Amino acid sequence: MAYFKDADEVYAYIGKLFEQLAEDDELAPKFRKANTIVQYQYREPESQITVKLIEGEDGQVDCGETTMEPEVVMTMDADTAHRFWLGKVNVTVALARGQMKAKGPVAKILKLVPLTKPVFPRYRALLEQDEREDLLKAA
Amino acid sequence: MEAGSALDPAPLRGFKDFYQYASTTRVIAGRDLLSSTGFEFQKEGARRVFLVTDEVIRATGLVERVEAGVTDGGLEVAGVFDQVPQDSSTHVCDECAAAAKEAGADSFLAVGGGSVMDTAKVADVVFTHGGAAREQEGFYLLPRDDDGMGRPREIAPLACIPTTAGTGSEVSMAAVIKDPDERVKLEIADFPLFPRLAILDPETTRTLPAKVAAATGMDAMTHAIEGYVSVDWSAHQDARSLHALRMIRDNLERAVQRGEEDEEARGNMLIAANLAMTIALGSVHAMSHPAGAQFGVPHGVANAIHLPHVIRHNAAGSDDIADRYRDIGEIFDVSDPEIGDALATHVTELVDRLGLPTRLSQVGVPEDGIPALVEGAMGDGTTLLNPREMDEEDYAELYRAAL
Repeated sequence: MAYFKDADEVYAYIGKLFEQLAEDDELAPKFRKANTIVQYQYREPESQITVKLIEGEDGQVDCGETTMEPEVVMTMDADTAHRFWLGKVNVTVALARGQMKAKGPVAKILKLVPLTKPVFPRYRALLEQDEREDLLKAA
Repeated sequence: MEAGSALDPAPLRGFKDFYQYASTTRVIAGRDLLSSTGFEFQKEGARRVFLVTDEVIRATGLVERVEAGVTDGGLEVAGVFDQVPQDSSTHVCDECAAAAKEAGADSFLAVGGGSVMDTAKVADVVFTHGGAAREQEGFYLLPRDDDGMGRPREIAPLACIPTTAGTGSEVSMAAVIKDPDERVKLEIADFPLFPRLAILDPETTRTLPAKVAAATGMDAMTHAIEGYVSVDWSAHQDARSLHALRMIRDNLERAVQRGEEDEEARGNMLIAANLAMTIALGSVHAMSHPAGAQFGVPHGVANAIHLPHVIRHNAAGSDDIADRYRDIGEIFDVSDPEIGDALATHVTELVDRLGLPTRLSQVGVPEDGIPALVEGAMGDGTTLLNPREMDEEDYAELYRAAL
């Protein structure tokens, strides 16, 4: 059974995390160095988050439909995304096993992976704040 | 930093949580094999063969001999595409695929170095599945059965005859091609890109200039060393890397210094490069890719320059990493408590004896180019596979040291 019951739950946690990052004075400029628009397409539940990471421009996070044109598309189960943000997924292994699929200039996204480390506790905190022990334990 | 996250440095010993190993190319190695190219390629389903090469190789007469080998085996040569440049591009791949279609080919045969072989791979994908080369970028994204989750669909039979001993592309499932419009290098990797056949015949490197033999040989050595210390190490690749290093130790200098007259050394270097090939690399490649893209430093030369600096830096990272370099040191009879320094010095001396540059300033890289190089290295996928976590300052320091 999938960790998230519907797309709204994906947006409430993973979407919210992206929104927080877009407003973070310290981390946002580092992520925007990627100079790209990334779309995360999730399965089970079907959902989609599009993130603008363009140097010198404001961040933008669209949960669901978007008018932004993604350069990189990452496809995975929402469960894999959840486990990633808990710090439990090795991206190179997930790519090798096909658990994550990346279309487009993948290097732009791989460059961001080391930056995500300090974000893991924030994701955990979001879940703790809502007392989502089920999601914390699920991974 | 969160304790125990998947981004923490992976252990370099023990039983891994996961690794994947595949090597599906049939390799034949030996003397006088070019004449049996058709006989061997027929076994892989080829009938009308499209040859991919470059003008330099064609001018040596090698391609004519391969063509004769194809027809002697009862196959037809559908056409020859000799317009592959040194640093091939998506446009060239598209042109090559269109030419193969036009010629009514059913298979590809690459005769050349890394650029030729990677062009043939990408052209084959476009030839088989349609679309444009630019659209093929990505890892494990080629068409598959079962809604994209099943077995990858095969591409037309592909055989490779490498004419340098270094790249290893003849046994890899990856291709790197320049996108001149976006000014980036595209990486394409998936299982169908493993060529079905690789033919290793020292005749193909008989007239290789010493400098090219040295640079490509250092590329092979770098593959073997980086593959052995990468966080993506595997027992399978360990065996290949360590034996490749033994063969490089015994044959590289001979092949460079004696060239044409030492067939055995040239043949063994072809095999060593083949064994060394891996896509689990590290910071040497992360530094060399932007040096090539931004300043045109030949890949093997860039690796030769960067390798000692990365060894020194990585070995200081942890005892586990240093132990991996000690295993390598044993092969070269280098043992020292400060293994990073000792092995780095050994490599620098080897590079010097091979007649290659040892500093970036010797190959046209200016000091003010370092910030852009650092950005390129941080953005290279191989940075994630380096055994020691890297940041921008680490790379800046390494580039300055190599200058």
